[in-house]
Amino acid sequence: MAQVTTRKKTPIPPTIRKPFRKSSLNGWLFASPWIIGLLLFYAYPLLSSMYYSLTTYSILDAGEFVGFKNYGELFHDDLFWKSISNTIYFAVFFVPLSILFGVSLAMMLNMKVKGLAIYRTIFFLPTLVPQVALAVLWMWLLNPGFGLVNGMLDSIGIQGPNWLGSMSWSKPSLILMSLWTIGQPVIIYLAGLGDISEEYYEAAEVDGASWFQKTRHITLPLLTPVIFYNLVMGLIGAFQQFTLPYTMTQGQGTPANSLTFYVMHMYDNAFKYFKMGYGSAMAWILFVIIMILTAIIFSTSKRWVHYQGE
Amino acid sequence: MGFKHRVLYKLSSLMFVFVLVLAGCSSDEKVEGDKDGKTTITFWHSTTSETAKGTANVIKAFEKQNPDIKVKSVYIANQGEGSNEKLLTSIAGGNPPDAAYFDRFEVASWAAKGSLEDLSELAAADGIKKENYYPYTWDEASYEGKLYGIPTTTDARLVFYNKDHFKEVGLDPENPPKTIKELEDAAAKLTIKDGKRFKRIGFIPWYAQGWFYGWGWTYGGDFYDKETKTVTANDPKNVEALEWITDFAKKYDVEDISGVTDSQGSGAMDPFLTGQISMKVSGNFNVASIDMYKPDLNYGVFPIPTPTGTDHTTWSGGWSVVIPKGAKKKEAAWKFLKFFGEEEGQKLFSESSRDFSAIESVNIDLGYADDPIFKEFIDILPNSKSRPVMTEGSLYWNELQTAVENSTRGKGTPKENLDKVNKTVTDALAK
Repeated sequence: MAQVTTRKKTPIPPTIRKPFRKSSLNGWLFASPWIIGLLLFYAYPLLSSMYYSLTTYSILDAGEFVGFKNYGELFHDDLFWKSISNTIYFAVFFVPLSILFGVSLAMMLNMKVKGLAIYRTIFFLPTLVPQVALAVLWMWLLNPGFGLVNGMLDSIGIQGPNWLGSMSWSKPSLILMSLWTIGQPVIIYLAGLGDISEEYYEAAEVDGASWFQKTRHITLPLLTPVIFYNLVMGLIGAFQQFTLPYTMTQGQGTPANSLTFYVMHMYDNAFKYFKMGYGSAMAWILFVIIMILTAIIFSTSKRWVHYQGE
Repeated sequence: MGFKHRVLYKLSSLMFVFVLVLAGCSSDEKVEGDKDGKTTITFWHSTTSETAKGTANVIKAFEKQNPDIKVKSVYIANQGEGSNEKLLTSIAGGNPPDAAYFDRFEVASWAAKGSLEDLSELAAADGIKKENYYPYTWDEASYEGKLYGIPTTTDARLVFYNKDHFKEVGLDPENPPKTIKELEDAAAKLTIKDGKRFKRIGFIPWYAQGWFYGWGWTYGGDFYDKETKTVTANDPKNVEALEWITDFAKKYDVEDISGVTDSQGSGAMDPFLTGQISMKVSGNFNVASIDMYKPDLNYGVFPIPTPTGTDHTTWSGGWSVVIPKGAKKKEAAWKFLKFFGEEEGQKLFSESSRDFSAIESVNIDLGYADDPIFKEFIDILPNSKSRPVMTEGSLYWNELQTAVENSTRGKGTPKENLDKVNKTVTDALAK
């Protein structure tokens, strides 16, 4: 508090504010590594990929300008549609499930029990496993022959499915694996839970609210800003699903393309078939899809996201 | 701080930022080791364990003969078919290695994009010619009549079979199947199924090296007409081959089979070594791991059966050494390529890697023809085929694999799926 009272500078009247005052130069200077980095490594590739999407660029040669031909061709590419439907399938199941599990897990990890720090660490640990290692690990666990999961199901008399080898089970298996690494959102949910003022619970207690009522009327509504954030981020992540299925299927999306996701198809075109232009077009379509979905979520957010103190 | 100081301070911090950014982007372009008159060339390869020893031996001998050249050997994981991203970006960025170990399968598509140096004249001047090599290896390293790589290794695919299993079920281990029918019968006898789970499976056509190219040719089909440059994936013989594979998948239930194929371990856990599969299509490169993990395995190899029991064939891939476009020390790199690709280098390489050389006399000299297993491979190599030399080789390969997947999984008939492959690859080539 002391500093505030000793500050004697007279505030600058708004009229004098210029965009490049001396002190703001310092600001720009300090921000310049990031600004240069953003321009060089984000803006430039972003804009050039937009241009490349209109050409037959192959990385190795510049290619010709073909207008919207790449986009037109995409609509006749069967695998493009297959990869979109696979990706949507994954997103539709994974994102809500990750919220459900994430929130429940966070609420459990928020209980005041002994050894809480240990439990929290345990659930966060899988996030630190590299995706490739994760893929290999789960291939072993879900192996129909000697996998641990089917072994356990066997011991209680259930014959487990061929998780990754069956067309109907491959995507659910992938969702299962992905759910294993929700430590990151859980951390955010935990922070969100910690942010909810105790007063609400105390007031509810006085009114005789049950645990369920408290969860439904206090915890969940006040957690919606965090859920909102994780929903958007989760959706973006789900649409970019790549490493797990790519490693697991050696890039083939087996069985029968049931694990060929959008970004995998894009990658194959760009780097394997030398069709960087085509790949760039796919990238922009993905961008538009994600933009639209994010916009929809944002537009509905007023109705269901509640901020404290509002 | 005075005004001057402030300006200086700002300027210097700005400089610092720029230096940081530039350092982040700079390529490794300093001319290496040119002091003391030595030229250093960089060689990118993907060889590991035994094969890496081969590479090291070649480099050692080369450096001894050429004291003025030093080879900096850099291991690049996954340099090879369909995973050449690092080489790709280095060429696009104008900063490639001087020489690279390169899958011949991709020579055509890379050469068509102008990413490899044309070696025809250098080879002609130094007397490196097609007659010295297995012809298909040379063809695969060339594109439109020009040479872009020097073939180094080759391989072949045969059926590996467990002789003990054969004895156990009353099959003659010294008289393995010759026709498709005999193969089917043997597979049926060897298979032990318990519910949905295989205790042992006789054979899986698409398992291990059972790629569709092999089956198409075995059935007498072909995939590409060199003369007219047309794709012939839906050749009636190829359709027949895929129909047979599809029937096989139906008979044994493809989802149950994938329980086995997904469980495939490598090394010591290879199902062929653990006795979970009795026959599989594999290549000579498998022999080394059998010797390492189960040297007492009683096994043999036989050519992939054909419908008639005659005209056995197989297909071969293999590697080459190339100079990427934009390499800075071409002259020294060529010397290295020449050494690697000629008999002396190939012998050194093949000796430790146990990969077949692309030169027949080297394989004979190394005694491969006297080994009961390797002999079968050496015998079939002159009749071997290479995958079509074309710019869309990777696409063709992946499409064929998808066709097999979809057919065996009952998505579309073999004919429909192969028609689709034909259309996709033809369209891609037309562009």
